[in-house]
Amino acid sequence: MILATECDVANEVICAPANVTELFEFPTIFTIGSFEVTRTEILMFLAAFIVLGLFYFGLRQQRLVPSKFGVAMEGMVGFVRDGIGRDVIGPESTKYLPYLLAMFSFLLVGNLFSITPIVNFPVTSRMAIPAFLSLVTYWIFVIVGFAKNNFRYLIDTAWPKAVPIGLRWLVGLIELVSIFLLRPITLAVRLFANMVAGHLMLTLLLGSGVIFLAAIPEIGFKGTIGIFWFALGLFMYLLEILIAVLQAYIFTLLTAIYIESSIHFEH
Amino acid sequence: MEGNIEALTGALALIGYGLGAVGPGIGIGIVAGNAITAMARQPEMQGTIRTTMFLGIALTEALALIGFVLFFIASAG
Repeated sequence: MILATECDVANEVICAPANVTELFEFPTIFTIGSFEVTRTEILMFLAAFIVLGLFYFGLRQQRLVPSKFGVAMEGMVGFVRDGIGRDVIGPESTKYLPYLLAMFSFLLVGNLFSITPIVNFPVTSRMAIPAFLSLVTYWIFVIVGFAKNNFRYLIDTAWPKAVPIGLRWLVGLIELVSIFLLRPITLAVRLFANMVAGHLMLTLLLGSGVIFLAAIPEIGFKGTIGIFWFALGLFMYLLEILIAVLQAYIFTLLTAIYIESSIHFEH
Repeated sequence: MEGNIEALTGALALIGYGLGAVGPGIGIGIVAGNAITAMARQPEMQGTIRTTMFLGIALTEALALIGFVLFFIASAG
């Protein structure tokens, strides 16, 4: 338990929980063969199956007038196709739409786990998952860059003709580092850090609210400050919904922008 | 009185993150403010401007988030 619930609130000045690193420890729940399955892995597969289920049940029948659920799913597909794919990549986006849609829906479900009761843990706040997703994106945009522009992709990035000759090596170096090194790292770290920050914030605010309120019988009036923490935690809860949706959108948008910059990379 | 170096490391990491969050804060303000000005001027370009604004915010925010991760690394190490 991350909360210091066994603390003697009347006598101790500082209530430290028994184990502060508990948020970052994931005990094995069960093992399959040599694979040790933790809570993160279960939730990861759960998110994948939820996405599959949503699409299967939402778009199962193609009717003239779809059901309400079907309309919602079509709205999401349309949003990714038009708002992200067509606006950013252009007419070639149809080829990349399955990847963008899979990415968006998995991240949406994974991020929203952060505010789902009982689950309360965003799978994307484990570095391995954003890192892997951003590696897939990295792989796609580098391959697309080489496939569309041959080796001019690498040469023109390192030696941009549009820049005056004196600055060319500097701009080329910055471009090389930012495209091939910083892009995948920031893509992963942005999602990871946002979700960890939100998760920690919710844990701390709601947890300290509960602890203060539970201590009212012992410390009396001073414990009512817990109401303030709890209210702030509920406000963060609402904000966390916005952040979860926004981060899924931004990750997909940046994926599309990176792919676009590999296709038409001259400008 | 002997100083507690362990406690100082965490405090320094906290101060470093606070300083690191200043720049991106100003940057996001500039990006969002200019996007609002552009949207007010040309409401028909809203979609494009919003996309570009999110891109700008995401790139600026990356600095603050790297600082946030480094805070954990520094205070744990």
